[in-house]
Amino acid sequence: MSQSEPPGGIFGLSYDGETRIFETLKLISTAIIVLVGAWPIYWVTQLAFTEYETVEDVVTVFPTPDIFTLGNFVVLTQPRMYTYIFNTVVVAIGTIVTVVLVSLIAGYGLARLEFPQKENFARVLLIGYLFSPIVIGIPLYQIWRSIGLLGTRIGLIIALSAISMPFAVWLMWKYIMTIPEAHEEAAWVDGASRWRGFRDVVVPQCRPAIIAAALFAFALAWNDFTFAQILLPQTDTTTFAPGILRAMGQAQFLPDAYLMAISLAMTLPPLLFAYFMQSYLLKGFQVRAL
Amino acid sequence: MAGETGETIRPRREFIPWDDLPVERETVVGIGTVLPVVVLYVLIAVLPIAFAFWASLHNVHTLNPVWEWAGLGNYREVLNLSTFRGSLIRGIIYMVGSTIVQLAVGLWMALVLNRVTRGQKLLTAVVFTAYLIPTIIVSLIALRVFDPQGGVFQMIGAEWLSLWEAREAPLGSQTWAMPLLILIGSWKFSVFITIFTLAQLRAIPNRFYEAAKVCGANRWQMFRDITFPRIMGIILVVVLLRSIFMFNKFDIIWQLTQGGPGNATTTLPVLAYKTVYTDQAYGLANAISVVMFLFLFVAAVAYFKLFNPSEEVETTT
Repeated sequence: MSQSEPPGGIFGLSYDGETRIFETLKLISTAIIVLVGAWPIYWVTQLAFTEYETVEDVVTVFPTPDIFTLGNFVVLTQPRMYTYIFNTVVVAIGTIVTVVLVSLIAGYGLARLEFPQKENFARVLLIGYLFSPIVIGIPLYQIWRSIGLLGTRIGLIIALSAISMPFAVWLMWKYIMTIPEAHEEAAWVDGASRWRGFRDVVVPQCRPAIIAAALFAFALAWNDFTFAQILLPQTDTTTFAPGILRAMGQAQFLPDAYLMAISLAMTLPPLLFAYFMQSYLLKGFQVRAL
Repeated sequence: MAGETGETIRPRREFIPWDDLPVERETVVGIGTVLPVVVLYVLIAVLPIAFAFWASLHNVHTLNPVWEWAGLGNYREVLNLSTFRGSLIRGIIYMVGSTIVQLAVGLWMALVLNRVTRGQKLLTAVVFTAYLIPTIIVSLIALRVFDPQGGVFQMIGAEWLSLWEAREAPLGSQTWAMPLLILIGSWKFSVFITIFTLAQLRAIPNRFYEAAKVCGANRWQMFRDITFPRIMGIILVVVLLRSIFMFNKFDIIWQLTQGGPGNATTTLPVLAYKTVYTDQAYGLANAISVVMFLFLFVAAVAYFKLFNPSEEVETTT
């Protein structure tokens, strides 16, 4: 700090004055973040409960009793929409299971065992971030077609699992490193095998990391559009994101209020996770799994 | 009796005679643990990229897999394609614009969230919602609010700010499509930077700030000399990741504009997709994919060489 700078706050303000300005700015910023962040959720919700004729031609800000309706949710009972949502759920669960199993085992190996090229393996893992769904998806379309995985949910699950791998493996690796090895050694002394030690000592302690990895895999699978669009080309067996987009493209009775209703239904699971599981999400980022 | 008590200590007889083999048991098991990841990587990355390269040397019709050798003809065609150069430039505009907006917004949110004392749980939930919400939902909402019929942002832009005509769809206009794409994407993706930076900010010990306060430093000096050096490393990492992700972004562009109007929002991923399904030129599309991959690879290697963000990653082990 040079001598010429005035003591106290910025621009020669007193320390108290600076604190007051700082607090005000913080308050305004918080308000803006909450408003901009929550606004789309509010807007979907209010449109989902407004009659669709009204949504089509005037701007409303709140579903007052004369335009309020639950009728838009009838879209969820359409067999096609039901299939889309079912497929999305199956793919999400499949991805979560694959990612958690594979990353737990790999994370354990990286954290506890010595083998050649370990560091290089971890570095190569980061190249996974270069995978672009479109660059991978176009060749994968032909590969999957020739081995019969095109249009199957398994094919999509494999692709999505590989994409979640760099994050999940780094997370597990770093997390298992924080568990003292002495816990396992105690089990070995009692005659447990390495596998028993892994299953009964390490895995139970990894619960937060497992939940975090599962949440990120869920976010990826729930979010996916590109892979599903390319790898599930049949319109009637695809997942929600490409399905709804194609349904919009076809001239059918699908007013915007219906779209908002189904969007709200698809937003609810992530919304609940964001609120109730945030400590796990934060934990996932705090071990800096990249 | 002695044999029974000794039983638990003495190693069990192995089915595989590890002692006679030239490799350590630990090596085999260790490699075995990462094998599933390697298999997945080979299946989803190595194989497709090798396949893409091989296919790019042929003329292939998307639906009719007759491969006709074309050599490097596809690459020549790609580089001469008028849409390729335009798409590359638009892709770079989209990438740079998005990364700058997201970096500014994301850093600002992280700094605010780090200092917020009340309502932290709600704020964090808002931030994570943006991270977890599917892109298609963001697109559906954006399509709704920018619809000339009853879209609220369309109305605000037309009637209050007169940015566009009353009956004009902003996402279908040459001037507004690209800026709006950048802004809509940033709503969702800024949070990525926030989350990473926030984790780093939380790791700065409070005593640094206390010591600075005792020495009479003001808030700007504290930011400049304590906070900023500490978050510099992670900023370089997220800028790299965000740039890669935005360059590869396909979903939100396809959902909102399908690359239109005209080619105003056609970036390289959109061009590759269109080449496969609209032009049915599978070999050519693979050539575009390979060029995209090489471009990213070179960019990433250059970035690693310049800033070495992996150093930052390694020091946190």
